[in-house]
Amino acid sequence: MLRFLQWFCPPALVEGIEGDLLEAFEHDLKEVGEKQARQRFTWRVLRFFRIEIILRNRFSVQFINTIMWRNYFKVATRNMAKRKLYSFINAIGLSIGIAFCVLIYLYVEDEKSFDQFHHNKDQIYRLNESSYSVWAAQRGEDPMHKSAYLPLPLGTAMKDEIPEIKYLTRFNDGVTAIFRYEDKVFTERITFVESDFFKMFSFPILAGSADQLFKDKHEIVLTPEIATKYFGKDDPMGKIITLDLQGEKQFTVTGLIEAPPSNSSLSFKILVSTENQFSYERNREQWGNFSYPTFIQLHQNANLTDLKQKADKLIEQKMGDRLERWRKDGNIPEGYPVFELTYTNLADIHLDTEVSWEKVSDPKYSWILGGIALLIILIASINYISLALTTSASRKIEVGIRKVVGAQKKQLVSQFGMESMVLAFVSLLIGLSLTFLFLPAFNEFTGKGIVMGDTNLIRLIGVAFTTAMVVGLIAGSYPALFLSGFLPAAVLKGGFTSKLSAGFTKPLVVFQFFLSASMIICSVIMNRQMEFVATKDLGFDHEQVLVIPTQTGWNEEADKVVEQFRNKLNTETSVVHVAGTSSSFNQGWSRYGYKIKEENKSAYVYRVDPAYAGLLNLEFIDGRNFDESIASDSTGIIINEALARDMDWKNPLDEYLNWREDSVGLGSRVIGVVKDYHFLSLERDIEPMFLSMDKKNTGYLTTMLVKLSPGEISDKLERVKKAWTELYPDKPFDYTFMDQDVANQYQTYKRWMKITSLSTSFAIFIACLGLFGLAGINAINRTKEIGIRKVMGAELSNIFVMLNKQYIWLAIIAFALAAPVSWYVMDKWLGSFKYAIPMSWELFAVSMLTGLVLALLTVSYHAIKAALINPAETLKYE
Amino acid sequence: MSKEYLGEFEELVLTMVGILGEEAYGNAIVQEIKDRLGREANLSAVHVTLYRLEDKGHVKSRMGGASNTRGGRRKRIFTITNAGVAMLKVMKEARADLWKLVPQLKVVSV
Repeated sequence: MLRFLQWFCPPALVEGIEGDLLEAFEHDLKEVGEKQARQRFTWRVLRFFRIEIILRNRFSVQFINTIMWRNYFKVATRNMAKRKLYSFINAIGLSIGIAFCVLIYLYVEDEKSFDQFHHNKDQIYRLNESSYSVWAAQRGEDPMHKSAYLPLPLGTAMKDEIPEIKYLTRFNDGVTAIFRYEDKVFTERITFVESDFFKMFSFPILAGSADQLFKDKHEIVLTPEIATKYFGKDDPMGKIITLDLQGEKQFTVTGLIEAPPSNSSLSFKILVSTENQFSYERNREQWGNFSYPTFIQLHQNANLTDLKQKADKLIEQKMGDRLERWRKDGNIPEGYPVFELTYTNLADIHLDTEVSWEKVSDPKYSWILGGIALLIILIASINYISLALTTSASRKIEVGIRKVVGAQKKQLVSQFGMESMVLAFVSLLIGLSLTFLFLPAFNEFTGKGIVMGDTNLIRLIGVAFTTAMVVGLIAGSYPALFLSGFLPAAVLKGGFTSKLSAGFTKPLVVFQFFLSASMIICSVIMNRQMEFVATKDLGFDHEQVLVIPTQTGWNEEADKVVEQFRNKLNTETSVVHVAGTSSSFNQGWSRYGYKIKEENKSAYVYRVDPAYAGLLNLEFIDGRNFDESIASDSTGIIINEALARDMDWKNPLDEYLNWREDSVGLGSRVIGVVKDYHFLSLERDIEPMFLSMDKKNTGYLTTMLVKLSPGEISDKLERVKKAWTELYPDKPFDYTFMDQDVANQYQTYKRWMKITSLSTSFAIFIACLGLFGLAGINAINRTKEIGIRKVMGAELSNIFVMLNKQYIWLAIIAFALAAPVSWYVMDKWLGSFKYAIPMSWELFAVSMLTGLVLALLTVSYHAIKAALINPAETLKYE
Repeated sequence: MSKEYLGEFEELVLTMVGILGEEAYGNAIVQEIKDRLGREANLSAVHVTLYRLEDKGHVKSRMGGASNTRGGRRKRIFTITNAGVAMLKVMKEARADLWKLVPQLKVVSV
């Protein structure tokens, strides 16, 4: 029983209480006998188990501390109010840091949340094919190339013969078609899926029944956005619309489906059955046509390994002969599979960078963003530390007095720790509001659609809170230890209080400069490269060119549209050229592989018409352009220099390119050679390419290029549009500008450049604020020195130089450290471009100069101010 | 009048501490209350009250000498402070003043 007492009772009280208990027990022993005495004893002990006893000591300690905490809080707020500028610098830096952290947290969360909302996500897999790529092997890369596109009959066979598969659907996206309802005609993006789609994925069906959808080929399912666009407020169900998918067909709306959220890897607006896809009937037996992304859902208890075995057996059985033939034709070495089926779980699609898919994202971006946030937080923390250390002179007396009065080191540490906490929490509030402010811009930069919801709001505050805590602790700990370490006698004796000797601030400033300098160098180089990309002469003229799809599909009709439109615009003075091509820049390409003298070669192919070369202003270095009146030109080709080099031709005009591996003829006659131009983005080399007029083998003119005369575009565009609507009232007029198409190739780079530039400017801003504060304190610390120097005859410029010299040195050291680091990082980045700017010393010089000027501007304010003070003012009290 | 206020039990215990002088400790006070007023006070209640009075500054405590009884444990001896005496006085006088204001009714026995 006494042990129980000792357990809960504060040690100071135990002895007195025990004594009283035992005395009472002895007394009872005489009066009422042992049994009762023991009972009473136990009862009394239990009665001591009460709040007043248990918490007595703890409570009193807390009691004293709350008084002190209140005082700390008061001193902290007073200090902040007294030094408004420094508090402002610290708070701004920290709040921007916190805001960045929160935004990056949101980004990472969003990345992780991709496709998590499907109930069956654990059972759903995307099938991928992994096949040996001769091109990749030639370039020395990993030869196994992965893609999500599979032959149509493979999926059908798998569903029929493998019992583990519960559902299966193809998912073909990216086809556009003309959608017509009464007088409303627009081009829309169509997605082809099969009936199982609605049972597998958890996109809510708003009207219609998931089990019944796509029983019929001519059904169409819309998202509410599309339904409103065409039918307004009318009920869309049962409406009949016309879609032009290789010829007009009528479809009945049988369902409404909610639009996929921004964190879905599958996106769609209009769903149509796969059976309506171009050449579906023919592809049903085509085991060699890889163009159908396929998703499967397993039965609840089915095993993926069993499925894999069965699928591999099935492939061997159905495609075995074919695979052997491919191995022979493609010279695929033994040991590599020709074709292999792999599986990606639905939830992993988003971060699987090996297989290209819409919205797929590299996890490295999360790391880059996280790194940036960390840098900003670091710079802001350094501001806090160095400012706290530098202003510590004025706190020395406070610390001395506190110590003399009896404060212990621990208490002082907690006092200064508390001060940084107060600051951290003020920043937390500002930071959170900044987050809300930045979010729309951040979404735009990163191409995300993050919405602030209730659930992530709580977690987000948690993240901000944690960041504030960690930063407050880390940034606060060093100044707290430093300040609390003063010896009261030394401090209170006076004499050394006006100047401080916190030598540790210098390395901190160098480190801060180093971070900012690296970021400056990186953004300068990135900006230069993007400028280079935007202004580089691509070898063709892409200004004032409209790119218009002929809206006919892949057929003879397309060529006619180009011809008709050319005739229509013939009299139009604002139109210089009209040309047709199979695909315009950044709108896709086709590439043919062929074997010449047992060697695998390949070339990009563009179907064009004679106006093409003139419109783009391509430069002929040999031969001539196509001529409609020469019949043999229809099989002739115009090649680029790269192709001539690839084939090792001395006189290309005498040569034939047998790209169709024709065993009878010689192939296509070369009639002209154009100077190399960048038909692909600058990330790529200029590879072999040829232009052809061969309809049958290189396709139709599905895209029309319209070159406008120089000057204001809008009314010319209006006239072209008018001509189009007169000719084709039932086809939408869609267009892009070629220069924008070309620029869009670098969108991701631009986006990341913007993010880095933005965060660099924030980082520099925070660092400059810190520097500004430091310089100010330094100038104040040296006011008397400056006064004396001036009295002794120092010039304003001498003092200016004296005050700024040390910062310039710090900046130079920081740059010396930053240059190699940023060189390494940027070398990697530029490596992704085949055409990149050289990293010259001048780039580094420019960055360094920018940094120095910024630093100098920041510190000069105080230097000039200090140098201008009348020495009589500063010295009169001596 | 001071803002401090003593509860009835607090006042009783404080008075007992004053009466017992050098012999005021938990058990003695319980005994004293029983002997003089015939009232059963709980030991733990007395202890808690003593500590509370100590916090308020009306009593102070020290550890007494060891003895063979009590299992060798020392006594925690409480002594009344000047503030405690003043407090008792104030309370007594305040009550006496109030008593004077009560109409002096005779207690009539039937």
